[in-house]
Amino acid sequence: MTTSRSSIPRFAGRGLNLLYLPALAVLGVFTLWPLVNGVMLSLSNWDGYSPERSFVGLENYLRLFDDPNFRTALGNTFIYGVGSTILQQVIGLGLALALDRSVRGRNVARAIIYLPVLVSPVVMGTMYYLFLSYNSGGLNDLVIALGGERTAWLSDSGAAIALIVVVNSLQFMGISMVIYLAGLQSIPTVYYEAARLDGANAAQSFRHITVPMLQPAFATSIVLNLIGGMKLFDVIQVLTAGGPGYSTHSVSTLIAKMYFGSQRAGYASAMGVVLFLIIAVFTLLLNTMLNRRRLEQL
Amino acid sequence: MKNSTTAKHAAAAIAIVATAAIALTGCSGDTGGGGGEVKIEMQTNFGSTDPSLKVLQKITDAYEKDNAGVKIDLVPSTDTYEDDIKVRLSSNDIPDIWATHGWSLLRYSQFLEPLNEQPWAKDFNTALAPAMENADGQFFALPIDTDVAGIVYNRTVLKDAGIDPAQLTDWDQFEAALKTLKDAGITPISSSGKDSWFAGNIADFLGSGDFTDAELEGFKDGTFDEKGYTRILDHVASWQKMGWFNPDYSSATTDDLGRSLAEGKTAFVFVQNYLVATALGFNPDADLGYMPIPSETGKPFLVGGEGRAYGVSKTSPNKKQALDYLAYLAEPDNLSELAGSIGGIPGLTNATSDLGVLTASYDAFVKPGDVPLKPYFDRVYLPNGIWDTMVTTTDGVITGQMTPADAVTQMKSSYDSLR
Repeated sequence: MTTSRSSIPRFAGRGLNLLYLPALAVLGVFTLWPLVNGVMLSLSNWDGYSPERSFVGLENYLRLFDDPNFRTALGNTFIYGVGSTILQQVIGLGLALALDRSVRGRNVARAIIYLPVLVSPVVMGTMYYLFLSYNSGGLNDLVIALGGERTAWLSDSGAAIALIVVVNSLQFMGISMVIYLAGLQSIPTVYYEAARLDGANAAQSFRHITVPMLQPAFATSIVLNLIGGMKLFDVIQVLTAGGPGYSTHSVSTLIAKMYFGSQRAGYASAMGVVLFLIIAVFTLLLNTMLNRRRLEQL
Repeated sequence: MKNSTTAKHAAAAIAIVATAAIALTGCSGDTGGGGGEVKIEMQTNFGSTDPSLKVLQKITDAYEKDNAGVKIDLVPSTDTYEDDIKVRLSSNDIPDIWATHGWSLLRYSQFLEPLNEQPWAKDFNTALAPAMENADGQFFALPIDTDVAGIVYNRTVLKDAGIDPAQLTDWDQFEAALKTLKDAGITPISSSGKDSWFAGNIADFLGSGDFTDAELEGFKDGTFDEKGYTRILDHVASWQKMGWFNPDYSSATTDDLGRSLAEGKTAFVFVQNYLVATALGFNPDADLGYMPIPSETGKPFLVGGEGRAYGVSKTSPNKKQALDYLAYLAEPDNLSELAGSIGGIPGLTNATSDLGVLTASYDAFVKPGDVPLKPYFDRVYLPNGIWDTMVTTTDGVITGQMTPADAVTQMKSSYDSLR
């Protein structure tokens, strides 16, 4: 009895390599099982620590839509995601364009700008928290030196939301810069030389050569920043812990608050599932849109 | 040849998966050390630099010396102690002994061994019964100290402003004092949205004296008294409107409040007495005390209940040794020393402690027994888990993000969903 070649399972024309198994096991344990478990939890009323839990069906999901705190957190999540993304693209691209030229000390400057990416967001948040502190913060010292008044920067929800976006963007603009630098360096100089011969100025070259050629970099940077911004947790936790009231919570911080603080693990899991779906759909749409634009320009 | 290669690949893959599985298996229930030693894990809820941990370690060393073969592992607390314990309970990786931080009855009793039959139980301070005992007279933790709290104040600041705290027996008098202090350039009340339990304390402390007995029973039976709770938050909203809270409320930390109190920049803080120790760290000469809380329904009162307390897991494989160690902690000399290090009134009646700067307040308000000691509102009358909502809604009112009506709606919604 011989086994025919065609009976061996195949993936996309390749034989099944058993060395996939460890990666699959890790993925299963750390990603798939938590995901399935989270969905199961979201259908229960578990408090997060008791042995008992009851099945409540979709009750947690239905309650979400009536919860003003969830609506606030969801709105903030979009603000953090979109706000950080826009800010990081503008700053990152600007820095990449500036540091793509052969100027003295550019490598040092690149390293310094990228350095905050390597710092823990909790440390970064704490530094800014101290900087913004009412009594002993550097910002208030500066304001007073300029003749102004001491201000409680984190007491106003609008200002606090804006500051969270700014702090997050300042920390991670280095990633955008590196992505755009890589993109800029992959553009053949011959295009610019040809454009110059045709009489194009710098702005025209940027618009008609740089921007189209940077489409893949745009796609990568925007998707990465958007996902990061929408999952934002540590900076919010350190700077405002979601306050004043519930006004600066993102869905991520509200999940933690509901799970541990309010002992509503089932409800928090429902929020987690909704956040996962929103980010997945958003990422998919964005990727599709950016790839389509890229193909149109080829 | 190919088959043997495939077999090798398969063996390698299985070995890697098996190794990963072993690595991912949490080690729990390690009950033995070398040579038959019993190892007991105790979650202390003392920070690693807390002087009380050193005292506990000293007492524990003496116990281990007398009990060869028993090793007590004193685990210092993290900033997320409460969350850590919940995770341990949910994963059935339960410590042998842990600090119950005010929740031995309402939250943890289903996991804890009843202790009312222990030899030291006859000395249990009955003032703790409303917070720690169930209907059957069972309690589930050894109380190291009794939490007695009111409004902490700086005596020097009040004296300079001509205010006698003993005369502030109703809210009108208290609020008149706040206005006097504000006019004198002192911050009348300091609280914190950063270490946000300070905000929750305000509603919780006021709540204990805001309702009649019938209304309080109503809370237990499922009736959330919106009108009464609005009354509490109206006080808070008016204090906020008058500018009587600290301007750095949103960013202030426990240390900031302690320093402000010690330096005479603020007059009152609604907080347990541990803040006094923090304040004395900034100014050892600060003259501080605590006063009863004005009531809507009768005499001024103090709040209190379970302070530092330790329970034993009912499923611990080392239950016998853990109970024996707890009995050792309960010995009068040991309990006195431990309660003294915390700065609290001992939880057992046969122990004593030096209250230091707070002795005057204790002698004035606690010792005579005239001032009622009421349990914390949330721990007795509200469902387990609502504290977090209480904190956030009070914070919302203090910062002007919520009206009292909005906050009450949120509280009621949380109350209904957690019952």
